[in-house]
Amino acid sequence: MFWATQKKWFLYALGLGALLLALPTPHDLQIEAKISMTILIVSLILIIKEPIPLPAVAIFILIAQIYGGVDTVDGISKSFMSDAVFFIMGSLMLAVVIIKQGWDSRIALGILKFTGNKTAGIAIGFLSISAVLSSFIGEHTVAAIMLPIGMTLIRFTSANPSGVKNLSAVILFSIAYGCLIGSVGTPSGGGRNVIMLNYLNQAGISISYFEWMIRVYPFIFLQIPIVSWIIMKTFKPEHRILDSSVRKLVIKVARSRAITGRSTLTVLIFVFILSGWVFFSEKFGLGTIALTGVFLYLLGGFVKWSDLNKHTHWGVIILFGATISLGTSISKTGGAMWLADKLIYFLGTFMETIPFFRELVVIVITTSMSNVLSSSATVAVLGPINLNLVPEILNIGLLTAMSSAFSYFTAVAAPACTIVYSSGMIRAKDFIKIGFRVGMISILLLIAYVNIYWPLFN
Amino acid sequence: MKILIAIGSKEFSAPTLRLGMKVAQAFHAKTTIIDVGEKISEFSSHLVELAQDQMESWDFDPPGVDVLEWAFNYLSDNKLIDSKQIKTGFPKNRLIDDGEDRKLVYLSGTVCDDVNLILRNGDIISELRDEVQYGKYDVTILGKSKKRNMSHDLLQYINSSVLIVNNYDNQKFDKILLPLNNADGMMKVAKYAIRVAMALDVGIDIFTVINKKSLKQERSYIIKKVIKLIRRSGVQFTNEEKEGEVVDQIIKKADKNKIIVMKASNMSPIKRYFKGSVPLSVMNESDVPILIVK
Repeated sequence: MFWATQKKWFLYALGLGALLLALPTPHDLQIEAKISMTILIVSLILIIKEPIPLPAVAIFILIAQIYGGVDTVDGISKSFMSDAVFFIMGSLMLAVVIIKQGWDSRIALGILKFTGNKTAGIAIGFLSISAVLSSFIGEHTVAAIMLPIGMTLIRFTSANPSGVKNLSAVILFSIAYGCLIGSVGTPSGGGRNVIMLNYLNQAGISISYFEWMIRVYPFIFLQIPIVSWIIMKTFKPEHRILDSSVRKLVIKVARSRAITGRSTLTVLIFVFILSGWVFFSEKFGLGTIALTGVFLYLLGGFVKWSDLNKHTHWGVIILFGATISLGTSISKTGGAMWLADKLIYFLGTFMETIPFFRELVVIVITTSMSNVLSSSATVAVLGPINLNLVPEILNIGLLTAMSSAFSYFTAVAAPACTIVYSSGMIRAKDFIKIGFRVGMISILLLIAYVNIYWPLFN
Repeated sequence: MKILIAIGSKEFSAPTLRLGMKVAQAFHAKTTIIDVGEKISEFSSHLVELAQDQMESWDFDPPGVDVLEWAFNYLSDNKLIDSKQIKTGFPKNRLIDDGEDRKLVYLSGTVCDDVNLILRNGDIISELRDEVQYGKYDVTILGKSKKRNMSHDLLQYINSSVLIVNNYDNQKFDKILLPLNNADGMMKVAKYAIRVAMALDVGIDIFTVINKKSLKQERSYIIKKVIKLIRRSGVQFTNEEKEGEVVDQIIKKADKNKIIVMKASNMSPIKRYFKGSVPLSVMNESDVPILIVK
């Protein structure tokens, strides 16, 4: 009985899957496509509600595709392991290495030099630094590095957290949203970007690291001041100036460990990885370069394998491999095309007559899904469908990747939000309060951005 | 005897801890105080752990440690733990991960056997169920949840007696209400009621609701045995019988000043899941603490 109540969403999902399979197959849809889409719906419920462990969901996706005859064992195995999976594996391991290097105190000093002691300046400083760093090293890494800096500043301002609730919200949301905003800036900013690159490559479109940055990075600079302003207006901080707490923080970080030759070497290795991503990712893949970095850190003894093993969630890596494999199957069997056709059939008139409606549909669907699912899983699932929606495949691919970062509404969708939420200093309803405002403005900004800036490339 | 007291926050768990420790004292029980933190999405769990490791290097405690520290201070203030430990303060450095997804610290009790503090994360029902199975607890004590399903799940799936602390205030409760019926195990319920009454220094109201006259004779036999037991214990008591609907009568009788001690339903889990039970209905509808003995 306990098992049944704990696994009720698993039972509902299987029931729904059985029902969908029992329904007659539309004449213009292959049976394999129908099965793969049914697996998708079942998996989405399992991923969102987590009635079974995520690795079990991954295994379910893989075996269901094989038993369902969606593809051969070889076909599924090939689509399971790709550069995107290498990258996710590498970036999760790099996060462990980077966090363990103690760069946080240097970053704290950097922020304070740059922002001064006014709360507004500090908020925009946290947001900007989080955005710029996360565009290269991933949102989860930056959130983990920035959180203690922000929390220390809050603690130095008041020992009583209830007296600085708004200040806490300002600083912590600046970190979380900064990480989200920045994570789309370059392909290495997040697994979702690499997954999209993977799908674009499958569609015969290639975009270099640098080209991605040119097309996407200005959007970050556009968002930073606006989002910072919204955060400050939503949570009016109790203190306008954080003079003494800034001084205390400077003293604390000044006392922390000094930069040694070895820590300089870790930075140099990271610069080497970054250069590899910028100049050689088209040839070798982002994942291969990330794993090269991990190899060098292990070789140099900068991190222990036991630490990497402990903090790398292998289940999530397997799940991403499985969802990418499922996305590829949906595309190969014609399911993605069929879904896109149906969407165009129902919304085509609006898409043609209402300006920007097409972008709005893609952004709203992607944003909605990324707020209940992870952003990478959203791109893995929606990517193949969205790429079939319009002829401008590159634009729609980038748009999907960018809007998948709009996970502003919930504490659970993006790791950066979950990490700051785990501090216990902000509430789940704060995410709704601010997330709605930031989300709406970001959607409007993105529509304007793609229609004003991207046409310059044609 | 082993007792598990589940707390959740400094703001709302004080009555639970207060009544829980009184009951633990009455039973001289080995006591564990547990805080179950919020479930973290599996997607982010490893990353959150990594961030928390980082936080510790900046002298921040993991979430939940502050709640355990508050519990420790309560135990210290009331001298419920060994004086040496009171002097050394909350032993954060002895909060060890035992490899079972939980962190714990062992303390020596004074009025009751050892007192342990445990931190777990996840779904509260699953975590409490696991802990009760792991530690073989006899009674689980926790505050009433606003979620209706939660009470049901607690009663249904936690394999120990359950004390739900609802609106508990030291001064307010002057009686234990002991509703009886003809089910097996009433003597065990009576023993629990006597212990709680002794701990709180209050009397017991034995209460029988009759809706079928034919059962009266059988009930009388059980009541006689219970009365004998209570009389021997020295606890003051009254005995009352009423006709009517069982749940309504119990809630009416409990009013706002009695702690209810009653037996769990004997129905099968499936029947109970669909039909509910008298203890569950009383638990959902009453405004007073209720101990359901399994």
